Amino acid sequence: MASRGSRIVEFRFGNFVASLIWLILIVLIIVSLAALPLIFIVLFYAPLPPINGQVLTPYLFLSMMVDPTRTLPVLKFIMHTELFRVAVFPGFSFAAIFAAVTIFVERKFLAKMQLRVGPLYAGKIEGILQLIADGLKLISKEIIIPSGADKPIFWAAPIAFVAASAAVISLIPVAPGWVVSNTDVGLLAAFAILGFFPLIALLFSWASNSKYPFIGGLRALHQMIAFEIPFILSALSVVILSGSLNLTHIAAAQSPYWYIFFLPISAFVFFISSLAELERIPFDLPEAESEIVAGWLTETSGMIYGLLQLGTYIKLYALAALFVTLFLGGWAGPQIFPQVLGPPGPQSPLIQLLTLRPIYNPIIVNDVFWFSIKTFGIIMLMLLPRGINPRIRIDILLHTGWYKLIVLSFINMFIALALVYGGVFGPGGVLTPH
Amino acid sequence: MSTEFSNETLKKDSSNSGLQIVKESEEDRLMTLSVGPQHPGSGHFRFTVKVDGDYIVHCDPDPGYVHRGEEKMCEYRNFIQNIPHLERPVIHDSNNITYSYSLAVEELTNIQVPRRGQFIRAIASELNRQVYTLYWLAIYGIFLGHSTMFMWPTGDRELFIDLLEMLTGARVTHAFNIPGGVRNDMPVGFSEKCLRNISYFEKRLVEYENIFYNNPLMRQRTEGVGLLTKEDAIKLGVTGSVLRASNTPYDIRKAEPYDVYNEIDFKVQYMKSSDCFARAYVPLLDMRESCYIMRQLLDKIPQSGEVRAKLQPNPKGPAGEAYRRVESGRGALGYYIISDGTPKPYRVKISVGSFRNMLALPHLLVGAKLADMPSIYWALNYWPVEADR
Amino acid sequence: MTSAGGFIKAIESGSKHLVIKRFTLRYPEKKLKFVGDGYQFDPKRGVGIAGYRGRHILFHDKCTGCQLCAIACEGIAEAIGMVKVDEKWKHNKKSIMPQIDFGKCVFCGLCVDACPFYALYMTDDYELSAFTKEHLIYTPAQLAVKPKYDGSVELKIDDRGATHG
Repeated sequence: MASRGSRIVEFRFGNFVASLIWLILIVLIIVSLAALPLIFIVLFYAPLPPINGQVLTPYLFLSMMVDPTRTLPVLKFIMHTELFRVAVFPGFSFAAIFAAVTIFVERKFLAKMQLRVGPLYAGKIEGILQLIADGLKLISKEIIIPSGADKPIFWAAPIAFVAASAAVISLIPVAPGWVVSNTDVGLLAAFAILGFFPLIALLFSWASNSKYPFIGGLRALHQMIAFEIPFILSALSVVILSGSLNLTHIAAAQSPYWYIFFLPISAFVFFISSLAELERIPFDLPEAESEIVAGWLTETSGMIYGLLQLGTYIKLYALAALFVTLFLGGWAGPQIFPQVLGPPGPQSPLIQLLTLRPIYNPIIVNDVFWFSIKTFGIIMLMLLPRGINPRIRIDILLHTGWYKLIVLSFINMFIALALVYGGVFGPGGVLTPH
Repeated sequence: MSTEFSNETLKKDSSNSGLQIVKESEEDRLMTLSVGPQHPGSGHFRFTVKVDGDYIVHCDPDPGYVHRGEEKMCEYRNFIQNIPHLERPVIHDSNNITYSYSLAVEELTNIQVPRRGQFIRAIASELNRQVYTLYWLAIYGIFLGHSTMFMWPTGDRELFIDLLEMLTGARVTHAFNIPGGVRNDMPVGFSEKCLRNISYFEKRLVEYENIFYNNPLMRQRTEGVGLLTKEDAIKLGVTGSVLRASNTPYDIRKAEPYDVYNEIDFKVQYMKSSDCFARAYVPLLDMRESCYIMRQLLDKIPQSGEVRAKLQPNPKGPAGEAYRRVESGRGALGYYIISDGTPKPYRVKISVGSFRNMLALPHLLVGAKLADMPSIYWALNYWPVEADR
Repeated sequence: MTSAGGFIKAIESGSKHLVIKRFTLRYPEKKLKFVGDGYQFDPKRGVGIAGYRGRHILFHDKCTGCQLCAIACEGIAEAIGMVKVDEKWKHNKKSIMPQIDFGKCVFCGLCVDACPFYALYMTDDYELSAFTKEHLIYTPAQLAVKPKYDGSVELKIDDRGATHG
């Protein structure tokens, strides 16, 4: 009758030291047999920056390990390459971290509102490793494809879903200059990509060859198409005020005053439409558990389900970030980070190294910080209706989407036009930044 | 609704590239959905609906998945041994289903229950009514998609389950009422704890109204949906909160008072609107009234006295028959027992509220939208295990 | 505009719960406390004494082997069987005592009601899980052991909500 906490292994210092030595030995073996050759191969083919007038040869690179002052310029070079931007910083990994934190925070937040504890046992502190446990579980499950299902689409649709969500992220500016693709039609491209999602939902539900996904897919189609129009119309008011479709310019144009003060109705309509696009409660008809088992996700299992969830939460981050860029000023916020970390003035090389002087840019760090805070706040606001509202019915949903929200966004467009023609915004206006 | 509608559609005939009129049969247009036992939306019950687009045209309930032969099993056990298995059909309302049985057996065997025992029986019955109604409210919330409304009532049930565990000794499977009274007396400190829990619970009911009943989304889904007029309700024979939601103030505790209910002053709660919202709201009003009843019972209970009539281990009475009924969480729950003079009953017939309310299901679903199916079905307060006995 | 009022009230109610304490009982680190010692029955007065109906406890110095508990259970769960024991007691001429199969027992306590000699009571212990079905059959010697159950948590209600522990 072994209970959960009854097997306590005693701590012996000798065993601890032995395990540490084993760990060091294995790390050394892996480094010398695998990592070092890999580094050499990469260094021979990757373009390397010149350091202090010298070309960085692989041997010079390895001397980085003993001379840390050479590490930071290389790091700075890497941070400005395209690959870093797409994969790590304003791109996929940043969004994936946000998505992971969102999933965990959502479960704990909802649990607190419902007077219960959320995940508790995975990880020592209140279930913090629950996401890793869930990810491992999903990877180890068998992927069951129903007979008669359309295999190519069944495999391709989740990947397309994640790819489309990640494509929206590539347009969002996190800080001035830190955006993966800085096109002049950024907002239009975001809406064009968002138009893919109903198609993916429909294709996947049709490929599942089963009754419940079929109903769920049709509902998803109706819902997403109905809410795309208020979505675009509410963003149009912002374009009227700022005069450009480029997301970086829109965010930069809000530096004195954020647009949410002038266009509150538009912000509200945008918020409701993004809840409908994300299929969150109260708009989660396509996944209504009580009526149609799990909607268009019914036949997913294992990693396909994992990919769809990842895509959904990345889309959540993307739409929240879009809201922040359009209405809350993007990265604007008071400068709270100091000019240099640590004591100012010229310092010894060691202190310069430890306080990250070559790569620390206070303005960029400040912008990223404020952007993250605002996006996180909007995500929490999007999580709130899940604890408060029941599910909406399909005819009330379509009525709201096609009548009420379009009317509200038209009203708001008139307000925006009045502001422009009244000389408040627009070229030569009172509040336009130069 | 669709009698004047023409079943003819225009179909392009590829052979002579002209338009031909082809008659479509009625059956081709309908899709049959089996809301069956392997569906998260139905409980241990199956009903088939035929759907035309989004409107339901035919509904066929199919109970019987949980039939365990309760009535037959009663014939092989004596009157006291029947209690543990008879409380299983609706285990979370066990004090009401054994209450009715005890009343019928007492009538057959001419046992007089002492007064304090009657009061304790009524207290346990009211506590169980709260437990069952909170459980039903939780299920109704989750099937409308409101997960918070699932968690809060399930948590607040704990207040009453704790009290019942203090009183009877078990959290859910009480086996507390027996013919002759109750099995044990109230422990010390029960009244204070009960009053404290009831006061806290009355504050919680206000929160339920704020987040669920006054939520415009819930009202849009349930107001005006599934209208059951008073004449139809009486004709179909529905009972319990479903009947009271159709403008009929009928409660067995007032109409045919049993035990001490004729000394308690309470009002029968009913609503006029006869739709799903009324059927969801009447149980909340019932819970409030039940708190009020419990306070009176705790006030009026005699401070000392016997709780159980002294009985021989195998009670038996003269041959005869008895029918008694009780207002349980779902409606009228009646027992008709025939005894032939031996300690074992000859025939026991249980008449449950759920089976009667099931008759309203085809009547309400035909003509309704498929999206309204959860709100109509779960508002009928149907517990499949009890209906199948 | 009443629907906007309804929404605002719902949001306010939901947000209020973020500051109310959680309700969960964190079993098995904390266990519930029960009032009293377990369900008992007084055959002289003919009425039971309130308590939790957990595992049974058999007092060997009172049990006479009269089989009334087994007869009571025959119609309910058939969980009690009489077995021969090695002990010799003056009041237990046949040397038989009840053995309870907790795989079948429904914990109704009617066997306790049936015993006329104050020999069978029920205790607070409910953690009876085992790895095989044979381990669930408790012999009279196992039934004589007093259980060690130390629950200490009760439901507490204050102005920040109800909570367990």
